[in-house]
Amino acid sequence: MKIIAKQDLAGFVNSLIKDGAWEVVGVKSKGDKYAFGPLDSADELRLDYDITLLPPKKYFFPQRETLFSFDVAKGVFTETSTAKPKIIIGVAPYDLVALLHMDEVFKEAKSDPYYAEKRNSSIIIGINIQRMTKWNFSAVMGCATIDHGYDLMLTDLGAKYAVEIGSSKGEQLLAKYAKNVRDAYANEVQMVGRKKHEIMNMGQQKLDFSPDLIPELLNQNYSNSQFWEKHSEKCLACGSCVLVCPTCYCFDVRDNPDLTLERGERVRTWDGCLLEDFAKVASGENFRPTKPARYRHRYFKKGKYLFDRFGFISCVGCGRCGSNCLPDIASPVKLFNDMYQETLKSGIEITPSTPPEVSITTEDRIDFVPKLATITRKVPMTANETLLEIQFNDGSELNHAPGQFAEVSVFGVGEAPVSISSSPTKKGSFEMCVRKIGGVTTKLATLNKGDIIGVRGPFGKGFDVDLLKGKDLLFIAGGLGIAPLRSLFNYVLDRRSEFGKVTILYGCKEPCELLFSEEVDSWSKRSDIVHKLTVDRCPAGECWEGNIGLITTLIPGVDLEPEKTYAILCGPPTMYKFVIKELKQKNIPDDHIIMSLERRMKCGVGKCGHCQINHIYVCKEGPVFNYANIKGVPEAL
Amino acid sequence: MSKPEVNISLHHVTRVEGHGNIYVNLKDGTIKKCEWNISEAPRFFEAMVVGRQWNELHHITSRICGICSIGHVLASLKATEAAMNIPISEQDLILRKLALHGENIQSHVLHIGYLVLPDLMGVGSVIPLASTHPEEVKTVIRLHRLANDMSNMVCGRTTHPQRLIPGGFAKLPTQKELVDLKKRLKDSIPDLQTAANLFKTLSSGFPDFQRETEFIALTDPNEYALYDGELGSTDSKSVPASEYLSFTNEYIVPQSTAKRAKHLRDSYMVGALARLNINYDKLSPLAKEVAEMFDLKPVCHNPFMNSIAQLVEVVHSVEDSIRLISELEAEGLKPQPDYFRPEIKPKSGRGVGAVEVPRGILFHDYTYNDSGACTKANCVIPTNQNHGNIELDMKALLPQVMDKPKKEIELTLEMLVRAYDPCISCSTHYLNVHFE
Amino acid sequence: MKPKVAFFDFAGCEGDELQIANLEEELLSLLGHVEVVSFREVMKEHSNDYDIAFIEGSCTRLADEDRLKEIRKNAKIVVAIGACATIGGINSLKNYKDPDEVGRIVYGDKAKLFDTYAARPIDAVIPVDVYVHGCPINKEEFLHVVKSLLMGKKPDIPNYPVCVECKKNENVCAFERGEFCVGTVTRAGCNSCCVNEGTICWGCRGLVDNPNENSHKEVLLKYGLTVDETINKFRLYFAWQGRGK
Repeated sequence: MKIIAKQDLAGFVNSLIKDGAWEVVGVKSKGDKYAFGPLDSADELRLDYDITLLPPKKYFFPQRETLFSFDVAKGVFTETSTAKPKIIIGVAPYDLVALLHMDEVFKEAKSDPYYAEKRNSSIIIGINIQRMTKWNFSAVMGCATIDHGYDLMLTDLGAKYAVEIGSSKGEQLLAKYAKNVRDAYANEVQMVGRKKHEIMNMGQQKLDFSPDLIPELLNQNYSNSQFWEKHSEKCLACGSCVLVCPTCYCFDVRDNPDLTLERGERVRTWDGCLLEDFAKVASGENFRPTKPARYRHRYFKKGKYLFDRFGFISCVGCGRCGSNCLPDIASPVKLFNDMYQETLKSGIEITPSTPPEVSITTEDRIDFVPKLATITRKVPMTANETLLEIQFNDGSELNHAPGQFAEVSVFGVGEAPVSISSSPTKKGSFEMCVRKIGGVTTKLATLNKGDIIGVRGPFGKGFDVDLLKGKDLLFIAGGLGIAPLRSLFNYVLDRRSEFGKVTILYGCKEPCELLFSEEVDSWSKRSDIVHKLTVDRCPAGECWEGNIGLITTLIPGVDLEPEKTYAILCGPPTMYKFVIKELKQKNIPDDHIIMSLERRMKCGVGKCGHCQINHIYVCKEGPVFNYANIKGVPEAL
Repeated sequence: MSKPEVNISLHHVTRVEGHGNIYVNLKDGTIKKCEWNISEAPRFFEAMVVGRQWNELHHITSRICGICSIGHVLASLKATEAAMNIPISEQDLILRKLALHGENIQSHVLHIGYLVLPDLMGVGSVIPLASTHPEEVKTVIRLHRLANDMSNMVCGRTTHPQRLIPGGFAKLPTQKELVDLKKRLKDSIPDLQTAANLFKTLSSGFPDFQRETEFIALTDPNEYALYDGELGSTDSKSVPASEYLSFTNEYIVPQSTAKRAKHLRDSYMVGALARLNINYDKLSPLAKEVAEMFDLKPVCHNPFMNSIAQLVEVVHSVEDSIRLISELEAEGLKPQPDYFRPEIKPKSGRGVGAVEVPRGILFHDYTYNDSGACTKANCVIPTNQNHGNIELDMKALLPQVMDKPKKEIELTLEMLVRAYDPCISCSTHYLNVHFE
Repeated sequence: MKPKVAFFDFAGCEGDELQIANLEEELLSLLGHVEVVSFREVMKEHSNDYDIAFIEGSCTRLADEDRLKEIRKNAKIVVAIGACATIGGINSLKNYKDPDEVGRIVYGDKAKLFDTYAARPIDAVIPVDVYVHGCPINKEEFLHVVKSLLMGKKPDIPNYPVCVECKKNENVCAFERGEFCVGTVTRAGCNSCCVNEGTICWGCRGLVDNPNENSHKEVLLKYGLTVDETINKFRLYFAWQGRGK
């Protein structure tokens, strides 16, 4: 531990500013509040602050960030940042803990290069807490002090600061730019210890129980609708709680063309699950349409889903959410205490949760940047659906598994997830069936052979073909559900001998909506598959000789051996419940039912939060799910 | 040979703000009918503000006009501040003058560049000029953008400026921003010269028409009055602005939804030409040079020269802004805390705020009760004060052009209306008249 | 083929059309993509053959309805620009005045001039395809709308409150400063510009789709506004959308 007098610290900061190699930022006053901002001089620093309006996360995961720029004629470009590395002065321990949480999140599976670059190049000078707002409960959460995660950590000792060295970067910085730094005396070290102890007792908010009960407490209360309705009634869906949170990281991605309409940039911005349209998809369906559902999701994400995934409760107790919520419903302490008291009264026992074994594997870096591809064939199949055959401009293969999806970009308009309709056994190109729903898909449908698009992927967990080898397969496709199922179906047809009996049931609303009609016709010519078609209704004048009725009506008539049969489903959200009911009537085991689910998938790599079903990222753990695994997941079906 | 009857019915004259109609009937060489008629829907602002609080009025009255919002807000604030004895600091006074200069530049450039220039170039709008005369159009755009940047920096926004509040400013520009602005203003002088030269080559397009009329504008012994002053006239002595009613005397005509005004004659004119006629010797040096280029000096009775007077004022506003910023620099801009609000205790009272906006002198007159709510409001808009003059000018101009082809007569009459740069939406902001 | 566009104005202050002129050089680029066939304020020429109609200002009299219906007939897409056109704007403040009182202060014998009724947004008269909110409009949003229309996609207009933008811009909340803001129920898209400039949100972009007004009213009362003051606040811009009654 070192000691530096206050005026020498000011000198240290001023030298850093003067050097010009960094952008030096720190806590300054703003009105009656505080915020991190660029420093022109050490005089502006307010290290005695109680809380900053926004956490320092804004320097690593900014409110708005350009992912890449595009020029339809020339390609896609990521910019090398010319920004100076930052020195951030005045980060409190709770915000440091939050950054460590974010590090895990942004590293998991695929590392986010934008975040990583900024994180790696920054220097953090922390400050031990001097004042807390009445909302701050970081001490309760164990985040009020910290012994790592900083380059230097300051503690205010009156006329001087104690400086704890956290890294060699910090040590070198201090040595080069600070004057009159000496080692701390023993009593000064003790003083710092005492101050930290005091901090642990600071804070007016107390939990009635130990935080390690939180995950199980939440678990027991998921279906307690009255509780969630009562607590969320006043929610304004203003997003304040999530936007000021140091551990929130959901984002949205949009294309921003310039006035040429052929060039522009793709930008990601902060988003929040409390906002009304967060879980809305292009077709207009909102998967979390009610306030109680959204309100509950935030607490579950912080207190349960992230705990299950990473082993930490993703709330550092900074209290920003509570202090920013105008109707006063965002304070986690109040909510958890209410929940605990209610649960106690009902006699349910809550056991502490132990963090799971977590090993974060980081594979490759997230690619937010699409590869250029060309449409090589276009077949309008119905009024709303078009089949596109696509090739990568660099000649590479997509190498997807059946059931995976890709993110397709129409530069300037945006990006949308589309499932891959062709089998990976088809080489040289891949196929997608696009239905006109939102901006991107509508525009895609107007493009022609030779037009250039962007493709990222493949993403998601596809069908486990090894599991299905040798088994009898029952495909059930409702409407557009045939599109992803076709990737597996054609794979199976290409390797027919590896699989047992193959049956396909395919239903649409009306005959004019039938997709892949030529292929469907070709099924009749095969003796090695059984196929049944149905339409919900046949309007007058249309020609239809097949079954009329919902797809569920086809299931009882299928001749199958339940133990050997795997059912593979894809269709509109409402279809699943009813089809599963019929399948259970035929004694198909839960883990023999495989389905592909739809959500609003934006980033494709389990980060932006939009596709989340409870703790599951549809884009990563799905879209293919085994019914046995998700039947207990409340938001899934 | 008897002359054919000429009927002119110009419904919703183009290239003016708001909806006005020109109706002319010429028969046998006499003017049977010559009307300037406003058909704009009235909007009832003076009724809307009654009952609203003193700290809301400027927000509401700003919406009278999108182009001279800054002027309306300043007149509104002056009225409230006069009614409640709310002082403003010297620094804020300078900043408000800068705001008004920004508005003057923006509005005049828009008017002469987009609305008047096409007539002088013989085209229907500025759009084809973007291809045929790109450099000239870009000059106009650069000046317009500079004026908007200036307004954004000082007031927050050109249209409905948020920073202007009773007692001062909600947020100040930084000294660096002002110094950068000063440089940009200085750098714009070549563009001003280009504009002046352009209009010089085109100035023969303005008819040489005179009709003696009274001009009314703010006047001040020390500067070219825009923000403060007494009410001056070419026909009479000045009076304090609070006595404006003795000058404006508004009345109604049946064919119009807008009121008119008169003082010592049947009508009078306000606007850039009026200001120049009354305050010529206070113009900045470069501005005077430009005026001399066009031989424009007091008292000019050709309303078409209002557009040139506006050009002269653009130059003056640029030069005067440079001077004002230098003043602020010399003292050093005093910062104020974030989200600053002056301490104000509302009280009952009546106050008048008079300000020169681009189109002429504007009055806001408010009466408040003890709890700070407005009980009565009166706004006299520059364009209202010009409507009478426009019609009389038309009547005097017609005999000079009667024998020309109909299209030419129409164009001349439209050019006359455009020269006044009327803001018709503003002038139908109210309705507050009693019948005897 | 460049789409043909036309601009129309009703009862308003023309501030939104000024924002379009304020696009400056970008306006020239925009003109490369569209053909302006009618724009009374800036051009003489007029044509009834247009694809996209931009309308500013409220409908304040019966005679305006015919004009609006004609525009709807001619245009494929109708875009309402500015608060007066999208939600009634400040004009609708007068709707709360006693109509007799207003009539009394108006011309008695020239009733035809006082063809005036409750000010209303244009979608009260004709269906509107796209809304560009704000008083005045945000010219960036206007550009986004035009670019979207040119690219054949639906413009992306936020359906969340101004609080989102205020928080991103790190403003100190108005309520924390002792002021009263309606940003909590007002549609974002302005980048919280008024709060950025040191004041509050007045609500000029209209309400979000599903505002929790009861909660917001409670917040206003909790922070010290009276019931009457709260009602007055809502009447400023939300008058037509039915609030403040």
